[in-house]
Amino acid sequence: MLLRPRREDHLVIGKYTGKIVIGIGLLMVVPLLTSIVFAEWDTAVDFVISISLCMAFGYGTQAVCRTDRDLGWSHGLVVASSSWLVATAIGAMPHWLSGHMGSYLDAMFDVMSGYTTTGLYLMQDLDHIAHGLNMWRHLLTFAGGQGIVVIALTFLFKGAVGAYTVYVGEGKDERLLPNVVQTARAIWLVSLVWLAVGAAALAIAGLALGQDPVRAVLHGLWVYMGAWSTGGFAPQSYNTLYYHSLAYELIAIVVMIAGSFNFALHWAVWTGSRREIRRNVETVSFAITLSLTVLIATFALAKAGVYSDAMVLFRKVFYQLASGHTTTGFSTIYSRAFVTQWGPMGMLATTIAMAIGASACSTAGGIKGIRIGVIFKAFVQDVRKSVSPENALISERYHHIRDITLSDGLVRSAMTITIAYVLLYALITLAGVLYGYDFADAVFEGVSAASNTGLSCGVTSPSMPEGMKALYILAMWLGRLEFMSVFALGGYAISIVRGRR
Amino acid sequence: MIVCMRYPRGVLLVLALGILIALSPGHAFASNGAGDATPSSSELVESPAEFDGDVISFTGEAIGEMMTRGDMAWLHLNDDAYRDRNVEEGAPLGGYNSGMAVWVPVELTETIATFGDHAHEGDIVRVTGTFNAACPEHGGDMDIHASSLEVVTPGHRVEDPVHPRKLVWAVALSILALGAFLADRLRAHAEDTQGM
Repeated sequence: MLLRPRREDHLVIGKYTGKIVIGIGLLMVVPLLTSIVFAEWDTAVDFVISISLCMAFGYGTQAVCRTDRDLGWSHGLVVASSSWLVATAIGAMPHWLSGHMGSYLDAMFDVMSGYTTTGLYLMQDLDHIAHGLNMWRHLLTFAGGQGIVVIALTFLFKGAVGAYTVYVGEGKDERLLPNVVQTARAIWLVSLVWLAVGAAALAIAGLALGQDPVRAVLHGLWVYMGAWSTGGFAPQSYNTLYYHSLAYELIAIVVMIAGSFNFALHWAVWTGSRREIRRNVETVSFAITLSLTVLIATFALAKAGVYSDAMVLFRKVFYQLASGHTTTGFSTIYSRAFVTQWGPMGMLATTIAMAIGASACSTAGGIKGIRIGVIFKAFVQDVRKSVSPENALISERYHHIRDITLSDGLVRSAMTITIAYVLLYALITLAGVLYGYDFADAVFEGVSAASNTGLSCGVTSPSMPEGMKALYILAMWLGRLEFMSVFALGGYAISIVRGRR
Repeated sequence: MIVCMRYPRGVLLVLALGILIALSPGHAFASNGAGDATPSSSELVESPAEFDGDVISFTGEAIGEMMTRGDMAWLHLNDDAYRDRNVEEGAPLGGYNSGMAVWVPVELTETIATFGDHAHEGDIVRVTGTFNAACPEHGGDMDIHASSLEVVTPGHRVEDPVHPRKLVWAVALSILALGAFLADRLRAHAEDTQGM
């Protein structure tokens, strides 16, 4: 039985959604300062307009929605999903004002793609955009990787008891520390240390590659943000092909793989448990599935004779596959080269890698390694049961921070989300096919959007049908929030209309 | 006097065939005066095998920067809708950027003065060289190894003035945001006072 939400429910949801939008406004101060430093005055005004909108909405909502009530479980989930929508609608303002977007829907597409760390984009003439706007593109993907709720938790929530529910609603469910606000700050600590090291390494590589110091630092920072957040945005339209450098690619691979690891794993290593890297079910699962998909793609491309040299072949395949599997979306080949050079088998291997994705509670998307690991263990357990005596007790364990015995509840939970992802992949592919795209292209691009990867084979473009853009926005949102909080928002909307008092 | 020239039927047939072949998809790519093909970047990406190893001529806006590696350098030439005028200068939106990476001796690049970015429309540069669908020398990258380079049109600085209407919106919304902030603070203060 659905209960119609009371006034207090609306107030608490409005209050915390307002806080998160204020957080988005504060985040825009960074690109505003960037624009001022580079004397990009028109872009600076765009950010003043956008910050003002965020603040007017955020503080206006807070002023109207005054309540002392803390967040309940369903409130948290609704706040997480609704705040992503509002943050997308308002966060799209700088994109739209820049004049580089075909429509406001295109601007929302790029912002949702950024927050969800997908990396697909519809921005036109990217190579001529302002530094301020490029900073915003990369900052929003970095913030999205951390989780925009995590940002608000860190700075604005001041220890609200129900904050954990919003945190979970954003697709993260690991408590690194007993308090969720401390957990959010720990996530920031890990990311900022990686930021310092990763951005510095890329900037030094950029200098060595012939970039001038300012561009080397900016590109280093932005490519780091794209890699760590597994977002895949890059400052030039050539993506990481622009650098033509093995060193740059290697640094990017290290950062994107690190970014795709569970924050709990980072924290375990941070606090001295280095063995966790080798033992964790997610890293083991990632290593196996990455190796398998690299093998398939290498075999297919070797057979097709696209790359004449074995090392060249491996370099190209490993980079695109690592990028796909970590759901980053960086590439060193042209989008259409997936179709014109890699062919169906190469695309299939990449699609599988993207569909699986990386670790839970990380910046990455996709089904996630832990679920693949749990389902595989459950399969092994069932096979062992079937070949063992009837009265034998067969149990399976896996290691994730600690040893965990496989239970029916865990397997069911992993299967539920996996099935939801597979259904989403199927539906978004079907939509692509119905819009007239080739099946291979539709499945590749659909999985890329829904798994928040961002590799493209050319389907995503400003001339793509509006309906497809809207569906991809929905797929990116659902995939990033892992369904539950979006379902909660749907339930909330239905209960407003049909719930009993 | 009207001179009527009569051609044998065979010559007319060959002429017609020649026109047909020239218009056929396989020969849809133009050529420069020297006889080199001049495919666009989209054509190169769509049909890489067809041009692999061919000497081609390619023209585009020098974008970003030149990245020097010893006595060679990387250039990126965009031949997209923004080659002559970018969005900041009022060019209509015409899709994504597209272009090609060019590997060129540094000595040939000395004439390039401006690279395209937000504040600049880059020099339009024509290169002639060998197209590689998957260059073994450069990690399988799709590129052109250029043997000649010329600046066709010099680039220029791009002004991007503030639009007055945007300024009005910025002021109005800033006042609104300040009002919302004050309203929130005042209500919070009033609640605190009542609580005491």
